[in-house]
Amino acid sequence: MECSFGLVGKGYTLIASDTNSARSIVKMKNDEDKIKVLTPHLCMAYSGEAGDTVQFAEYVERNLRLHQIRHYTELRPPSSAAWIRRVLADSLRSRKPYQVNLLLGGYDTSDDTPHLYWIDYLGTMAKVPFAAHGYGAYFALSTLDRYHDPTADLEQGLETLKRCIEEVQKRLIVGLPKWNVKIIDQDGVRELEI
Amino acid sequence: MNSIASRFASTSASAAISRDEEENQVAASMWGSTGGFGNLGQVGIPSFEIPRVPDPTNFLRMHTDDRNDPSCRIKIQHGTTTLAFRFQGGIIVAVDSRATAGSYIASGTVKKVIEINKYLLGTMAGGAADCQYWETYLGIQCRLHELRNRERISVAAASKYLSNLVYGYKGMGLSMGTMIAGWDKTGPALFYVDSDGQRLKGDLFSVGSGSTFAYGVLDAGYRWDLSEEEAQELGRRAIYAAGHRDAFSGNTVNLYHVKEDGWKFIGNYDVTTLHYEGPGNVPGAVPGGYGYDVRTEGLHSRGAATVA
Amino acid sequence: MARRYDSRTTIFSPEGRLYQIEYAMEAISHAGTVLGILAKDGVVLAAEKKVTGKLLDLSGAKEGGYGGSGEKIFLLNSNVIGGVAGITADANSLVNYARTAAQRHLFSYNEDIPVEQLAQRLCNLKQGYTQFGGLRPFGVSILYAGFDPHYQFQLYHSDPSGNYSGWKATCIGANNGTAQSLLKQDYKDEITVEEAVGLAMKVMSKTMDSTTLGSEKLEFATLTLDATTGEPKAKIYRPAEVDALLEKHGLRKKDEDTEMKS
Repeated sequence: MECSFGLVGKGYTLIASDTNSARSIVKMKNDEDKIKVLTPHLCMAYSGEAGDTVQFAEYVERNLRLHQIRHYTELRPPSSAAWIRRVLADSLRSRKPYQVNLLLGGYDTSDDTPHLYWIDYLGTMAKVPFAAHGYGAYFALSTLDRYHDPTADLEQGLETLKRCIEEVQKRLIVGLPKWNVKIIDQDGVRELEI
Repeated sequence: MNSIASRFASTSASAAISRDEEENQVAASMWGSTGGFGNLGQVGIPSFEIPRVPDPTNFLRMHTDDRNDPSCRIKIQHGTTTLAFRFQGGIIVAVDSRATAGSYIASGTVKKVIEINKYLLGTMAGGAADCQYWETYLGIQCRLHELRNRERISVAAASKYLSNLVYGYKGMGLSMGTMIAGWDKTGPALFYVDSDGQRLKGDLFSVGSGSTFAYGVLDAGYRWDLSEEEAQELGRRAIYAAGHRDAFSGNTVNLYHVKEDGWKFIGNYDVTTLHYEGPGNVPGAVPGGYGYDVRTEGLHSRGAATVA
Repeated sequence: MARRYDSRTTIFSPEGRLYQIEYAMEAISHAGTVLGILAKDGVVLAAEKKVTGKLLDLSGAKEGGYGGSGEKIFLLNSNVIGGVAGITADANSLVNYARTAAQRHLFSYNEDIPVEQLAQRLCNLKQGYTQFGGLRPFGVSILYAGFDPHYQFQLYHSDPSGNYSGWKATCIGANNGTAQSLLKQDYKDEITVEEAVGLAMKVMSKTMDSTTLGSEKLEFATLTLDATTGEPKAKIYRPAEVDALLEKHGLRKKDEDTEMKS
């Protein structure tokens, strides 16, 4: 019942994820941060198989850091996304694939554009203006089709994101009370209260 | 993989696959079972809904046993209740002591708290051997860390070591649901680590088949500023509650308290005694049994008039 | 005495030198000159061809390919051109390695390889031969002229030891000392590609020891940004274009009997 959203606006990308951590029918934790800050201008919301998610996110985090140390420059969002997709695609053909679904939000400082990528555990990748993973997709994509505006300022973007979260809270049988929202813009990554 | 795949696959395809799987498993489960009561379901006496398969017990076990099939849909941490919570005065760790093999109680005096070192405790749920072996191994590594770095390992690092270790065996049959509790430079710290590789930092966890019952008592009575006596009593009552309601938990409660100068064993309490007589003269406990009296005395209204 | 430390690339001499590496560099200082100039809106490479002769079949350079004769200047990736000086056979092997490395980067990251990273890849390979025994180092220096979004236009030089460095203008091969002092005199920070082309031509004409200066002795290339797409655009000049360029700058030298004016 994990759920995450992402959308791009004028000069920013927003990523939101629920904060539940469950095992079987038990909610073990309700304040888990499931959005990893990968580089100063890149964030990744992850969901999927327990254990795999964090292991994969940390693997990506460490590799991108290594890249930065080796080459003095951070990978730009499109290249990071391509590399992450490649890791998942290679993993899928291995003995024990990572079962992780991702939303990758970034801001390219070299040409000042926000980026959002939808990636699933099969290695499917799409560059999208808005995205959702989990059951939330069934509720929020229509909302996003209706209200998303790539030229919207932050206030309007957050408004749209709130609509999605509220719709999920209203209609999905499982309550997802707490959400974690991160924004990526020219100043880097920040957490937002919603 | 199956859980995510089937969620997104088209319904007809996934349904077809799962039906195939079921038929295979049913065929296998028929061996050795038709001689017993395995065909009851087919004969037509059933008075309540059970799976329409020759051997429902075996069928259920197959679908709930994550030791043999990690991808199966219903996961149960068989036969245990363990809990730990952080509060103002440190960490309380409490566990039951029952070991079961199917419906047979194999032991009532199991030590489910593993004393990793003076400052670290691990709890045991799932495969007893897996927990015992790997947590002892963790103890070795923690000691080596101490010798190499002239400094005690942090709880975060120790639990991360364990989670990375079991993650390396993911899908190979390990079954562990453990809490690592201890005191380090940062103060009291508590982590949940399981054989899926999941590792969570938190203030309050309960693991095992009786965890839902323990949570019921724990969540109602938990506060950060609990006194040490109140906290110990809460841990005791929560395990008792699970021992009372969960068939796979019980016998006795083992209670530990982690403080700045290391952990301390508080005591061992018989669940039946707790039920009828209570823990006795222990700090934090009120006189009387946890369960029996309220169920019997509470039924009549003697003395109600005198309240006013 | 030094003989004893000559034969293996991986053995230090008592003075702490690796003779084989130094010999490799020596080989390069006799090779055809390659010159690179970094301008604010592009990079220029010019190279002197050593393999010439009336009987050499140059028809392959006139049509097909990327424009060069395939002796000195190569397209390594759509955003990088390389100029090589040294043993041609070794150079061909390195060019192939560079092209493969660039494609591998594209495969992993879906972007053109950053110029410095490509230089680093080749240097890692070259360095290996200064340390692991039984093999001869690459007798090649390379100039990399490229573009990437991180540092825009760039010019790098790598030598047989595996060292590399970035330059505003530099020169490798025969007479590189003369060429470099000429470049030092005439280089301006705000130089344009137009001016850099002229400067390259001028320096080449002064440093090349041959009496003729034409497409049979010169290779030439530029890397600029495409005005419409903004993508890097590599241009390796065809023989006719080289001649036209020389003509334009009044530097085309004919045979000995023709009078030399400059």
